[in-house]
Amino acid sequence: MELLSSVLIDFALAFCVAFCWGILFGTPWKALLATGLLGGIGHSIRFMLLQSDLGLVVATLIASVSIGLLGIYVANKVHNPPVVITMPACITMIPGLYAYRTMLAGIKLSDQAILDKNPNIIPTIAHNAVLTFSLLFTLAVGISISALLLRNKNMKEIRFYKSKILLKDK
Amino acid sequence: MSCTYIFLIIHISFQITNFAARNKRLNISKENIMENTSNGSANINAAEVAEFILDAGVFLMASGAHSGRVWRNCRRIAEHWGYRMNFNPTFTGILVSVWDDKDSENAVTRYKTAPANVVHLATLTQISHLSWKIADNEIEYDDARRELETIKQKAAYPFWLVALAVGISCGCLCTLAGGNLIDAALTFCGASAGSVARYFILKKQFNLFISIIIASFITTLIAGTDTIFGWGQAPEMTLATSVLYLIPGVPLINSVIDLLEGYFSASIARSLFAASILSSIAVGMILSIMLLGINNF
Repeated sequence: MELLSSVLIDFALAFCVAFCWGILFGTPWKALLATGLLGGIGHSIRFMLLQSDLGLVVATLIASVSIGLLGIYVANKVHNPPVVITMPACITMIPGLYAYRTMLAGIKLSDQAILDKNPNIIPTIAHNAVLTFSLLFTLAVGISISALLLRNKNMKEIRFYKSKILLKDK
Repeated sequence: MSCTYIFLIIHISFQITNFAARNKRLNISKENIMENTSNGSANINAAEVAEFILDAGVFLMASGAHSGRVWRNCRRIAEHWGYRMNFNPTFTGILVSVWDDKDSENAVTRYKTAPANVVHLATLTQISHLSWKIADNEIEYDDARRELETIKQKAAYPFWLVALAVGISCGCLCTLAGGNLIDAALTFCGASAGSVARYFILKKQFNLFISIIIASFITTLIAGTDTIFGWGQAPEMTLATSVLYLIPGVPLINSVIDLLEGYFSASIARSLFAASILSSIAVGMILSIMLLGINNF
C-alpha cells in the first residue's frame, strides 16, 4: 500500500514536470496532456525498477525505451510526430544532480586547501561524469527508438489514419 | 562494463535496421517518382522547389528537429513535385540539390544559413502536416508557400507562462530528487526569476551565451540562500535542480540521434553547441558560488 502511494506521488510529480517542460519546448496544446501522461508513466516505471534494486542506468534505459515505444502509439492518437511528445517526457529523467556534482567537484579541484583535505575529488568527478553521460545516452536511445526502429511502419500508419479521416469528411 | 555492452548491442542493431529501412525506402521512392512524373505535376521549376525546401528545412532544423526528420519532410515535398533531391545538413545551415531526372538543365544547388536556434516543437508538427498535405495533393505551391509563412510567424507561449511552467517543473524535479516543500519553493523562485531575466536579456538581442550565464547566476544566487541559511532539508538538490531549465536537452539528444543515423557533421555541431551552453551554465553557477563562498557548499 505504501509502495502504491509513493508510486502515485512519483507519477503526479513527473506528470507536472513533463507537462511544464512541454510548455518550455513549445509542444502544441493538444499534445501537452499526452506528454504529461507519458512522462509520468516513464518516471514511475523507473521508480519501481529502482525500488526493486536494479541499477540506475539500466532502469533509466528501460523507462526511456518504454516511453519511446508508447510514444509511437500516443503520437498517432494526437496527430503529432513522436519526437514532439517523447522529448519533454524523457527530460523528466535528466541527470541534473550528477552534472551538478561533477561541476561542483571541478570547482573544488582548483583549490589546493580543499584538495588536501579531501583527496577523493577526482574519483567523484569521474564517477559523476560517467553517470551523467551514460544517462544522457540512454535518454537519447529511448527517444530515437521511435525515430529509427519502426520508422516506415509508423509513417504508413499515419498515412492510413489520415486517409480514413478524409474518407469520413467526404 | 555491462552497460557498455548493452549500448554496443543496441547501436549495432540500430545500424542494421537503419540499413534495411534505407534500402526499403529507396525502392519506395523510386516507385513514387514514377507515379508523380506520370501525373505531370512537374510544372514548378527546380529553383522554386529548392527555395521552398530550404525555407522549411532550415526552419525545422532551428526549431529542434533531428536531421533525419528534416530529410524525410523535404524529400516528401520534392518527390511530390516530381524532383529528386539530396542534401547536406549541418547545424548552421543546409546545402540542397534538386534535379529533374528527365531534364538535365532543370537542376539547382542552393545553400541557406539557419536562423537562431529556438526550440519550438509545435513547428515540427505543423511542417510535418504541411508536407503530408502537399504529398496528398491537397495544396498547390502558392498556398503551401503562404502556409509556411504563417507557420513561421506563429508565436511561442508567452514568457510569463513559460516562467511559471519552468518554476513548477523545477520545483517538482526538486521534490522528486528528495527535497521538501521549502526547497521546492526556493527552486520555483530561482528558476522563474532566471527564466524572466533570460527572456528580457534575449529581447535586447544580447548573445545567447551571455543570457545563459546571467540567468544561471541569478538562479544560483536565489537557490544558494537555501544552503547558506540551512532552511530546507536537502539544499544540494535545490541548487542542482534549479538550473535544469537551461539544460540544452533538445540539441544534446538530437546530436546522439544524428550520430546513430549517420549525419556526423550535424551531430558534432550540435554537441559543440550543447557543450558550450552547458559550460555557460557552469560559468554562471561558479560566479555565484564564488560570491556566496565556496566553503559553504
